[in-house]
Amino acid sequence: MTDTVSTAGPARPVRARRRIPVRSPHQAAKANATRRMGGPLAGVPWALPALALVGVLLIYPFFRSIYGSFFEDNGFTSSFTGLDNYTRLADDPIFGRSLLNTFLWVAGTLVLPVAVGLAIAVATHRMRLGWLAQLVIVLPFAISGVATAALWRFILNTDGALNEVLRGVGLGSWAQGWLLEWPQNTLSMIVASTWQATGLNVVLFAIGLRAIPKETVEAAELDGARGWRMFRYITLPQLRAVTVVVIGMAIVNSLKAFDMVWALTQGGPSRSSETLALTMYREAFRLFHVGYGSAIALVLSVIVVASSWAYLRRQMPGAKD
Amino acid sequence: MSGRHPPIPDPPADTRTTTPRAQRPARRAQRPARRTLLRASAAGAFATATGGLAAACGSAAGQGPGKVAVHGDNANWEAPFDAAGKAMRSVAGVRLVPEVIPSLESFEQIVKSSLRTNKTPDLLKYWSGYRLRDLARTGGLEDLTREWEDAESRGWVEPTLREAFTHEGRVYGLPMNLAYWVFFYNPEVFAEHRLTAPRTWDDFLTACTRLKDNGITPLHGTTAGRWPAFIWFQEILSRQDPRFYDDLMNGRERYTDPRAERALRTIAGFFDKDWFTSMDVDHNNAAAAAVHGKVGMVPCGSWLGSVFTAAGGKPGKSVDAFILPMADPSARPSVIFESSAFAATVKGADKKEARKAAGSWLHPEVATAFAHALQDGSPNPLVKPASVIIEGVARQARDDNLWLLNRFWEQGPPELVESTVDDLAGMLIDPHSYRDGLRTMQERADEAWKVWREAEKS
Repeated sequence: MTDTVSTAGPARPVRARRRIPVRSPHQAAKANATRRMGGPLAGVPWALPALALVGVLLIYPFFRSIYGSFFEDNGFTSSFTGLDNYTRLADDPIFGRSLLNTFLWVAGTLVLPVAVGLAIAVATHRMRLGWLAQLVIVLPFAISGVATAALWRFILNTDGALNEVLRGVGLGSWAQGWLLEWPQNTLSMIVASTWQATGLNVVLFAIGLRAIPKETVEAAELDGARGWRMFRYITLPQLRAVTVVVIGMAIVNSLKAFDMVWALTQGGPSRSSETLALTMYREAFRLFHVGYGSAIALVLSVIVVASSWAYLRRQMPGAKD
Repeated sequence: MSGRHPPIPDPPADTRTTTPRAQRPARRAQRPARRTLLRASAAGAFATATGGLAAACGSAAGQGPGKVAVHGDNANWEAPFDAAGKAMRSVAGVRLVPEVIPSLESFEQIVKSSLRTNKTPDLLKYWSGYRLRDLARTGGLEDLTREWEDAESRGWVEPTLREAFTHEGRVYGLPMNLAYWVFFYNPEVFAEHRLTAPRTWDDFLTACTRLKDNGITPLHGTTAGRWPAFIWFQEILSRQDPRFYDDLMNGRERYTDPRAERALRTIAGFFDKDWFTSMDVDHNNAAAAAVHGKVGMVPCGSWLGSVFTAAGGKPGKSVDAFILPMADPSARPSVIFESSAFAATVKGADKKEARKAAGSWLHPEVATAFAHALQDGSPNPLVKPASVIIEGVARQARDDNLWLLNRFWEQGPPELVESTVDDLAGMLIDPHSYRDGLRTMQERADEAWKVWREAEKS
């Protein structure tokens, strides 16, 4: 298939037309290649390791959990109980509290890290040394969840730094056991989580802000837009793509909140600060109510998938089709 | 997108081509190599999947002749196991190899999921009481009755402990340690306030009042880490009515009984007097606070002594311990104990060595090495106490002929205990909610005991 260089005739001095040897992917793919590579299934062996891993570690456990949720299983013996595990969920006050805590986490994570992240990114966008402020805010994101929890335990304990500060400034009556009673234990942990999670949101929003064309901003300025009106009608609409990502991540991360709660309170006292992920873990792996734990896992999965799907379908351009 | 290159076609059969024919066989020679590569990749994928599974299924392997692994959940027990292993080698020719899974959850999961497979650990450090029975009734534990009787006949084990390691009349574990549940205090601080270790319930109340009056928080209580929530209920109930404690823990009495209410009312009274630390002070911080004279008394197992010494406490001088006196002097004097089980599995890889190790576990040399490295009490009465604190408590238990009652954590179906510690935590946070709390506990107990008894029958 290789073309050669040719000339039109020896008598006339003409400019030689060079024909460049080319081979299109289409040409390359035909001929005997397909046959030699074993037909359309040739790629299967290459995909097998990935398929095996996903199958063994994701798909099988998922369907096994659904199957297991119809059984009363204590790790040793198992008996079919149909939908009993699901009807028990409705009567279980711990599951109810856990569901409520999970929604508090979702609401708190949307209000705090997302809103604060956006506010900081916008405030520092054109500021001199704004990058430095952003860097400082991003730093906690580099700390692991458990280390963050250890730090916040030092702050939130009854004898901890926060209460000491409150007493020091004459607000001793506000001092309390932040991690001991509901709902302040859940709310305190959401604040602790905000401290860590805001940094990433600042980075994402800062990237979004840099991508806004200057022309639109200048045009708006010429039209007299300033401050809130500029933000509301010019900046925010152009941050839509980034905002979709940030909020989507926030929803999923808050629905599976686990490490901070486990490290700070282990879901206690008296299971008052458990989230669905923690309740699932405790039921399945501490109390060995494997079937009941599987039912909670399925409820959590349905909530995560449904809320993510509904949100992205609504927000992603063209996703409605 | 597969990411692979498009196949390179053969050169055309054109004389104008610049590709030498001589190179073609060489190209062909590459084809089998490509097919080989495909086969190899398919085989690799299969090996990855099956190999991964095989690796995931494996957990415990044999240790080779003369060695046997003992699995536990506590990293602090690694050095004591090593010390006991060295002594055991000279006594029985078997060396213990400690393998610690430093997470209670992971340890329990591994034990329970592997017990009926041949990948199970050979020897386990497990809990005594109902938790051991829960495991024994699966048929996965070796019957160690012969080893117990042999040790008992030689005077190597405290006979009254047998019940805590027995299921249906057979022994399934040997006691590893014998921790007494005591109140740690700082004798220097007590002396400063003209106090001594309480010998009566009134002495105890006087000590609390005087410490409080002098700006010292008299008592440590906590829900940090979950499990410690049972401590105060266990201590007060067993001092007010040890018989009722024993019956309640074994499902013969009810949580809604007025005697259980009385215990929680007593605790609520202590809260009303502001005698407790805040409920999120863990044991490590409480030990340090007691050494520094900030907290008066810390109830815990005698194993906490090493934490006090690590915090700068000097045994007998700035840290000592007493057994909480009986609130009802007419009741049988008692003390709560805690003892871990040395259990052997039926399907372990080194079963022969494991039996040999169990046979020598209570040998005085092995028990001494273990207890002294752990700095805790020993179930072997021939072992010299590891510290002056242990010596004093053990002497009191012996001299006063105290009734040894197993700790709350090991009493009752494990599932019930796991739930009721959370209920007790709720009552420590809201001390006057005890009636509701006890009602909930009884509902749980009804269900859990029903399941337990049905399982016993089957």
